[in-house]
Amino acid sequence: MTGDASRIRRQNRLSKGLFLCFFIGPALLVYAVYNIYPIFATFFYSLYEWTGIENTRTFVGFENYARLIRDNIFHRSLGNNILLVFASVLTQIPLGLALALLLQSRIKGMRLFRTVYFLPFLMSTVAIAILWMFIYNPTFGVLNRALADIGLASLQRSWLGEPSTAMWAVIATICWQFTPFYMILLRAGLAGIPEELLEAARIDGCTPWKSFTRITLPLLVPTLVTACVLSTIGSLKYFDLIYVMTEGGPDSATELMATYMYKQAFRQFSMGFASAVSTCMFILAFIVAATILSLDRYRARGGN
Amino acid sequence: MTGTKKWLSFLVCVFLLTGLLAACGGGGSGGSSSPAASSPSSNQPSASSPAAVSGEKKKLTLWFIDTGKRKELIEETVKEFMDAHPDIEVEAVQIPNDTYKTKLPVAMGGNNPPDLFHSWGGGWLKEFVNAGQVMDLTGRIDPENYLPAAINIATFDGKIYGAPLAMSLTLFFYNKEMFEKNNLQPPKTFDDLLRIVDTFKAQGIAPIAMANKTKWPGALWLIYLANRIGGSDIFTDAFERKGRGFDDPAYVRTGELIQQLVDRGAFINGFNGLDYDTGQSRQFLYTENAVMELQTSSYVTNVRSEMPGFEEKLGIFPFPAVEGGAGNATDLVGGVSPVFSISSKTKYPDEAVELLKAITSKELAQKFADHAGVVTAVKGVEYKDKFAVMMNEYLQQAQFLQPFYDQTLPPEMAELHKDTTQALFGKTITPEEAARQMEDAAKRILDK
Repeated sequence: MTGDASRIRRQNRLSKGLFLCFFIGPALLVYAVYNIYPIFATFFYSLYEWTGIENTRTFVGFENYARLIRDNIFHRSLGNNILLVFASVLTQIPLGLALALLLQSRIKGMRLFRTVYFLPFLMSTVAIAILWMFIYNPTFGVLNRALADIGLASLQRSWLGEPSTAMWAVIATICWQFTPFYMILLRAGLAGIPEELLEAARIDGCTPWKSFTRITLPLLVPTLVTACVLSTIGSLKYFDLIYVMTEGGPDSATELMATYMYKQAFRQFSMGFASAVSTCMFILAFIVAATILSLDRYRARGGN
Repeated sequence: MTGTKKWLSFLVCVFLLTGLLAACGGGGSGGSSSPAASSPSSNQPSASSPAAVSGEKKKLTLWFIDTGKRKELIEETVKEFMDAHPDIEVEAVQIPNDTYKTKLPVAMGGNNPPDLFHSWGGGWLKEFVNAGQVMDLTGRIDPENYLPAAINIATFDGKIYGAPLAMSLTLFFYNKEMFEKNNLQPPKTFDDLLRIVDTFKAQGIAPIAMANKTKWPGALWLIYLANRIGGSDIFTDAFERKGRGFDDPAYVRTGELIQQLVDRGAFINGFNGLDYDTGQSRQFLYTENAVMELQTSSYVTNVRSEMPGFEEKLGIFPFPAVEGGAGNATDLVGGVSPVFSISSKTKYPDEAVELLKAITSKELAQKFADHAGVVTAVKGVEYKDKFAVMMNEYLQQAQFLQPFYDQTLPPEMAELHKDTTQALFGKTITPEEAARQMEDAAKRILDK
């Protein structure tokens, strides 16, 4: 009897397994072909010197990577990416949290603001880029005009035209675009905090600040970790706005790894070198994500 | 599971599978086209007949970048071609300039290139020729139909790889009215230009507009100044390594003059961050906040579609001479655009050649001249448009046409040339350093 029961159990598991494969299969196939394969293909191409427009390639081993390590512009773009990571994490997430908390409050008209605050995230990146290019226009743009109107004309700059201000101007636009996303993400996280905990704290005479730091924040940590991972990885891969607003200029002041890779691949006809840049980006993002997630697991297990 | 639940899950499976198959099928035929972001700016591939019924029609694809009136004229010609050849269907796709520069190499590399494609000749086309992607047209088209300077730009090692349609000349476009109000004449020398700059600066008007985010508008200044100072051969000598290099004193002096202009406040504010394609420099001329701009001849087409009322104030003058310089004030900087070539992988070479002849024909060139204010590369065209007449005069007087550096140099040097020039304008590099970097690169790349 036991033999029969275990055989039946095994059969059930087998048929369940097959059933699962049948459902996951198509998606897994698509994922493997369009995500996994290109990663390996990129690494493969990075070992060659290839123009990208012909069928012949020359094997050069790790020479592209050696060149990468010596490359000044790559160093600059890596620096810009790191700057973007810190700026994003330290701006978008706290701001998003502030907005999420604000939305939770019972101030009149908050529901309208929920839509309003979310709008930047819905706009196409190219539209945002062109919009902000007009705002930053040194002669006609709203920003410089406004500064003049409030008497701060000395602060006027050609925001996108000068290497010293260009990166910051673009970072500001990026933050404007993505803060709403974190607002929504953290709002969902906030919603997961049981109302009773906060009620109990209030009854016990807890100040709002204390209840925020002692109850809300700790319970939000998983969501915050997710937000951090997303923000960091996103910043390491970022391309869109920089490409449209400045193309990585002026004078490589806003160059990112992704824009550098793009130029190498499609302007310089150096597909091999560009693939090396791309592989580097992937490895970096992977290491960072793995670090954050494992640190989080360490924390979740209570530091064991 | 209950009966209805079973049915439901079956239906879901069917939908999922169909969705997957549809996605794969669509992706397959889309082949070389890059993802959603870079779809062609026109609403649909124009000039393709809506009811492509029989599979017997020979299909040709044509990729071009012309906009406005030029786009309309090309599409008209394609339609006439299809009417004359009922067995050929042509899909003519317009793609914006910068997107095109990415899309074509990707299509080539992905083994799915268009049958006919646009280029500017020179180094960029040569890359594709070297990769074996371009059909040799020697003997199939008659080079006598075209201006020598134009057909030469698509000729490599004595073989013809493209047919030109229109020329692009670089000239000053200026507001005649504002000049008249100040009793100014177009400058004959660089010092005249400086005086004009000072006059307008004193009135608080920016003299020269420029949108140099994409780096090539600034490069136009460098190419002209180098020519005026170093003579017609300066670039050829440096490029072909025949004596003078990119660190020649002429190039250093060029850098100095550029920075002199910048220091004088000759240009509008923040030019290195402004984008030319979205009109950020032209708007200064339209609003009379700037007086002139050094640009390619498509400026006229832009003015006509963006602010037709401005056209009556628009004038052109050629780049002035530099006193003591070795160059001729009649030399012109320009290029050929479009140059149409045929892919070596085309399935219908004979039909492709026929289409090529149609879109570089005298008829289309005449229409270009009449309606789009363009100087064409095809012989035998009569000019009636006032700008085309003027430009043609300059072209006739010119003994030498200097092509844009970034169309001739190999890609890495082309990018370095644009980068160093933008840095010169931004004053983040010295003229000596810029010249030295170019010469170092030339030694590394060209001295092989």
